[in-house]
Order: sequence, then C-alpha cells, then structure tokens
Amino acid sequence: MPNNLDAYLEEISHFLSGREEREEILSEIRSHILEKAAAEYGETGDAAIDKAVAAYGPARKVAEKYLDGRPIIAPAYKRYLFRYTTLLFACHALLTVIAVVFKEDFVLFPFVFMPRLGIFEALMYLPTAFLADLGFVTMVLYFITQSGKDVKLPWPKFGVDLDEVKPAKGILLSRIATAFGAVVMLAVTDFALYLFARHHTIFFRNLDFDNPLPLFTTDAGRRISLIVIAMLAASTLTLLVKLFTRSLWVDVLSSVVSLVLIGLLLGQPLDNLFAVPVVEKFLPKIKFGARFLLLFFALTITIDLIKHLVIIGRRKFVQSS
Amino acid sequence: MTDPDIGSLETEMNRGFLQILVLALLEKDMYGYSMVKHIERLGYKVEENTLYPLLRRLEKNGLVGSKWDLGEDRPRKFYAITAAGRALRTSLLGVWKNQNRILSEINKENIDAQ
Repeated sequence: MPNNLDAYLEEISHFLSGREEREEILSEIRSHILEKAAAEYGETGDAAIDKAVAAYGPARKVAEKYLDGRPIIAPAYKRYLFRYTTLLFACHALLTVIAVVFKEDFVLFPFVFMPRLGIFEALMYLPTAFLADLGFVTMVLYFITQSGKDVKLPWPKFGVDLDEVKPAKGILLSRIATAFGAVVMLAVTDFALYLFARHHTIFFRNLDFDNPLPLFTTDAGRRISLIVIAMLAASTLTLLVKLFTRSLWVDVLSSVVSLVLIGLLLGQPLDNLFAVPVVEKFLPKIKFGARFLLLFFALTITIDLIKHLVIIGRRKFVQSS
Repeated sequence: MTDPDIGSLETEMNRGFLQILVLALLEKDMYGYSMVKHIERLGYKVEENTLYPLLRRLEKNGLVGSKWDLGEDRPRKFYAITAAGRALRTSLLGVWKNQNRILSEINKENIDAQ
C-alpha cells in the first residue's frame, strides 16, 4: 500500500509529465525527504515523513519550479489578444448579419465558413464565434511568443485601448445622469404598463386616448407589448442598480437579458400581425425591415456585451500579472 | 508612510545570490540536505524546493556535476562544482564585489552629504 511519500511523489510526477528527467527529480526529492525525516524528526515512520513532506511544499508548486517559465503569451502581446479578438469578432458578427439577411452561406477559405443561418441560429452562433476568434488569436500569439522573436504587431495609433477609456469625469455627474435616466425609464415603463392594463397593447395607430385603435391584432399585440415592456423594465432595473454599483457585470447581465428578449421578438410570427390592411407587396419589405432593425439592435448589444467582457478580462489580466 | 514590503524584492535579490552561494559552497562535494543545513548555520535560509531545481539548472549548464552515493543507509546525490562552474563563480564574484563597492561608495557619499 503506497504511503504518503509515494502519493506526494506521484502527484509531483503528474505535474511533471512529459519531462524526461522526471524519475531523477523524484529520486532527489525522495532522498531529501527521507534524510530530513530521519535527521530532524528522529525517525523514518509515517508521522516523520508527513512532516517532512509538508515542509517541502505543495506538489504543484514544487513541480512548477522545474518547469520553464516562458509564458503562453508574452506580456507585450497580451493586449493584442483582446485587440485582435475584438476586431476579428466584429468581422465575424458582420458576416453573420449578412448571412442572415441574404439567406446565403458563403466561405472565406480558410478562415470563415458561414452557413445559411436563421435568426435564432445566428444568436446562438455568435458566442461560439467569439470563442473561436479568441482561440485563433491566442494560437497566433502563442506561436509568436514561442518563436522568441521580437515581432512588432500592427495596430493603428488612433486605436483606443479599451482599458484606457477613462470613466466620465466626476462620479457625481455620472450618478446624476444615471438617476435622471432611471426616472425617465421608470416613467416610460409605468406608462407602458398603464396602457397595457387598459388596452392589452402598447402599440396604436392613432393618438386618441379615449378611443385608441390598436396597431396589431389582439394576440400579436399582447405578446409583442409584453416583450417590449420587459425590455423597458430590464433597462430601468439596470439603471437603478447602477446607481449603487459600478460593476460591469451589471451591463453584461443587462445585455444578455436584452438579447434574449430581442430573440423572443424575432421569433414572433409576422403573419396576421397588423390590425389594419397592409398593401400585399409592402408586407415582405416591412417584415424584412423589422427583422433587419432587430438584428441590428442585437448586433450593437452583442458588441457592447463583448466590450464589457473584454474590459473585465483585461482588468483580471492586469491584476494577475 | 508605511514601510514597503520587501518580500518580493528580497526574493528577486536572492535569486542571483543563491547561484553564487551554491557555486561557492560546492568547492567540496555536498548533498542537498547538507547544503540546506550548512547554509542555515551561516544564518541564511534557502527553500529546499528551490535548491534542487537550481542545482538541476546548474548541472544542465555544465556548472556542477553530480553522482549518486548508494553506500550509506539511504541513497544520497552528491554535487560538485566543475571547471566551468569555477570560472563562472570567479566572474560572478567579480560582479558582486563591484556592486558592493558601488553601493558602499554611494552610501558613504550620502552620509557625507548629511
């Protein structure tokens, strides 16, 4: 039955996997621990060995001292990881929009294969695309780092570093603006709720409050109104929370909720939508316009989401390095 | 103003010092544990899990050699400095002496200026 020393050496061995001198290293450590246990604890029993093992340090840290210290990505290139990923993802997102709008699949060999995507598939595809872009850029920077050459990577001088974007001057002023926005949004949300409670819709084709005429058919109007009210409520809640915290995770959460709600809106059937007769030939154009507009909103929110995630990631990198 | 934490700076300083220390110590053959204890008796502490990787790097660069002694009740790996190690030690001691002289002179200038 293996004792604690064997288990300890086995753990170190695991972290040293791939090193040809592993057995020699383990023999050195074993010899030292047995020597120490006998010399300092007066015996070579399990208790003495346990003390010597504990004094030697955690297995992972011991193993790391034998490993080369070259980083996966050199510190000078770390900022390019986010710069290039953001750029690449922006291109990817644009191509996704084109694939959805034009209902075509296309290939930019060997970099991009964009299958014909529906709206939901596109929304599901974007996070995967981001991870793929991040992985691709990481791989390129990894090879540059491992080559050991001084490669000056291109980046325009006018490019603004995301982490160099300074917060608005005067926290008080920013808080007042947020509070004002929250009050306005609260009023708009309340008004929307009031309209919905009275008329089961918030979309009308006239401005007569005594006798409003709904724009959409009853079911469609109710569904779309509820989603829009949820979006208004989410925005209001975000602004209220931001009065108390400046955490970027609030923005991330808000963006995710908005994307989900836009996804729900995009998923609504557009047939028998309007409560008024619409000229038949205009109907496809209206549908296309509405989808395009919603997708554009989704794209801007996605870019905002990525921006916030990148800033959070960079801050973590700065803190850890 | 609070005193600055010298922990990480000391670690950086020790990194270079430990190399000279080991090369100086290995004029006679020693095994790892005996080196740790010897250094401790001189009033300095070296982490045992730092010493062995350092010895391995020095050996890889041909600055020290090693051989296992299986004659005792437990096997011990003895290290000894090589000719290349001695040459490097002379150079490093020269660097250290020059650094020491510079700091002493600056320190003297500071005292005179006060």
